[in-house]
Amino acid sequence: MLEVIKVHKAFDRLLAVDGVSLRVPKGQIVGLIGPNGSGKSTLLSTIAGQHKPDDGQIRLDGQEIGGLPPEQIFRRGLARSYQDPSLFFRMSALDNALLPAKDQRGEQPLVAPLHRLWWPQEKALAQRATSILDDLHLLPQRGKPAADLSGGQMKLLELGRTTMGAPQVMLLDEPTAGVAPALAYTIFEEIERLRRTQQITFLIVEHRLEILFDFVDWIYVMHMGQVIAEGNPATIAADRLVREVYFGE
Amino acid sequence: MNIDLVATAIALLTVFGIASIIALSLNLEYGLGGIPNFGQALFVAIGAYTAGVTYTRLLPLLAGQAALDPCGATNMAPALALRTGILKTMPAVALGNFALTLVIAGVIGGLIGLVASYPALRLKEEWFLGLVLLVGSESVRIFVRGYEPIICAHNGLSGLSQPFAWLPTAQIRSLAFLGLVLVAAGLCYWYSERLARSPYGRLLKALRENNAVASGLGKEMSRVRGQVMVIGSAMAAIAGVFFVVNVGFASANDYGVALTLDIWVMIVLGGLGNMRGALLGALIVTLLDRFTSIAAIQLNMLHIDIEFNYVRYILFGVILLVMLRYRPQGLWREPVETTGVGAGEPMRAEPRV
Repeated sequence: MLEVIKVHKAFDRLLAVDGVSLRVPKGQIVGLIGPNGSGKSTLLSTIAGQHKPDDGQIRLDGQEIGGLPPEQIFRRGLARSYQDPSLFFRMSALDNALLPAKDQRGEQPLVAPLHRLWWPQEKALAQRATSILDDLHLLPQRGKPAADLSGGQMKLLELGRTTMGAPQVMLLDEPTAGVAPALAYTIFEEIERLRRTQQITFLIVEHRLEILFDFVDWIYVMHMGQVIAEGNPATIAADRLVREVYFGE
Repeated sequence: MNIDLVATAIALLTVFGIASIIALSLNLEYGLGGIPNFGQALFVAIGAYTAGVTYTRLLPLLAGQAALDPCGATNMAPALALRTGILKTMPAVALGNFALTLVIAGVIGGLIGLVASYPALRLKEEWFLGLVLLVGSESVRIFVRGYEPIICAHNGLSGLSQPFAWLPTAQIRSLAFLGLVLVAAGLCYWYSERLARSPYGRLLKALRENNAVASGLGKEMSRVRGQVMVIGSAMAAIAGVFFVVNVGFASANDYGVALTLDIWVMIVLGGLGNMRGALLGALIVTLLDRFTSIAAIQLNMLHIDIEFNYVRYILFGVILLVMLRYRPQGLWREPVETTGVGAGEPMRAEPRV
């Protein structure tokens, strides 16, 4: 379970995250919505270690992770994706998928020249990465530079790449931004499949509420750095404050 | 014009071998790792300065003789005679001293490379980091030029011969040294190429493209940055030892911005991130350099009043501009796939759950 307890994060005089608390139970898909500038992405970045929280606690399965560097948080089982595709564009799709795998023997500079010591592991990881790419209909692109993929394919690759690190929790920042509705549903179907088959827990920032509401178990609504509402999709859709703040009604 | 073709070929190959090691070192750091080391000349100089110290202080000790201060008008000649005498008559000492020089230079170069990697952690803008390294390199050069104990300040230090002075003829000595250079270059190429085509090479590419995202994927990128600087700097320092004993004379002026420019032209021309490209670039630059030197001599002999040696700077500048504008990947493009695990027979995906 991911717990965020009264976290604050400010940049100079801008209080981007103002005492936010939320819980993401194991195996659930939780949505995080709110107008632009409400602090959603900053919250995700703070949870993932890109920013150090000014105050509050962030716990993963009871262990405090607030303030740890991003690489340590990833190794503890929490991964994130970004609003803009953050692939390694000059690398192939397969290389992008292989990078997050943990404990790669060939990543040591004294072992790397000795091909025999890491090749069997590399082949096994490539088998797994190929499966991921196949699930995402990206197998034909595996040898191509990531820069050659379409926007939607990049989003899928970024989602698939992150699962190579075997995360327990994934933070997704607008995973369907800029993609066609049909592909947006495909992305969420893939998220649901990962939840079902690998018991991955998700916290998802998303603006496409018509798709998000079909898949999430719980929703938090942020506005001006604070959580102003939480509930199941039906409750949130009917909430007057949410409708006023988010939809301007 | 009388040219000894064999001697010229040996000399060219020797310079090419040394240039290859230097080019490979920078290609690891910048071509793959994205670290803009505009101070690479410093690390080559470390090798030269190390040789300056070992040849004057360590060599006599290994030969069971007292070291002489190599600098100053009265000391220079006896110290030079001592060095030359040992190198010509004691092969084990000559080779042992050379081997130790390589090791010491590699260690010092690597340590300084590690220190130099720390600014890279704090400087977000690439160009600023490049400037810091360039300024560092020039500062050390100016310091050494005024500080006598290393290589006798601006006078320089002669008698730093390659370790085969005890062999009977000049050609045999040159061939033996060429052999050693090519073995060293071959080992450096093997190591660099293996690193580049391994998961470690994948890490370096991630460092180059997006360090923050790579950290978010669990990779300790500050450690990787430090490692590649250690490896690249150690290689450059080792090349510096070969460089100075090939010339036979150590002068701080040989390790300035012009040398850094040469190295950058090699890797930009040959192919950033491609180790074979680095060799190609080193070969082309070596040939162009030799061509301009010969042309300068010929024009001088014909009493034509053009300083052709400076043409090389114009030429290299034009090469850099043209390559960066029209073919930034270089003559030999970096392979897209890192380890090649995806090549060959198409893999079958694991059954979908």
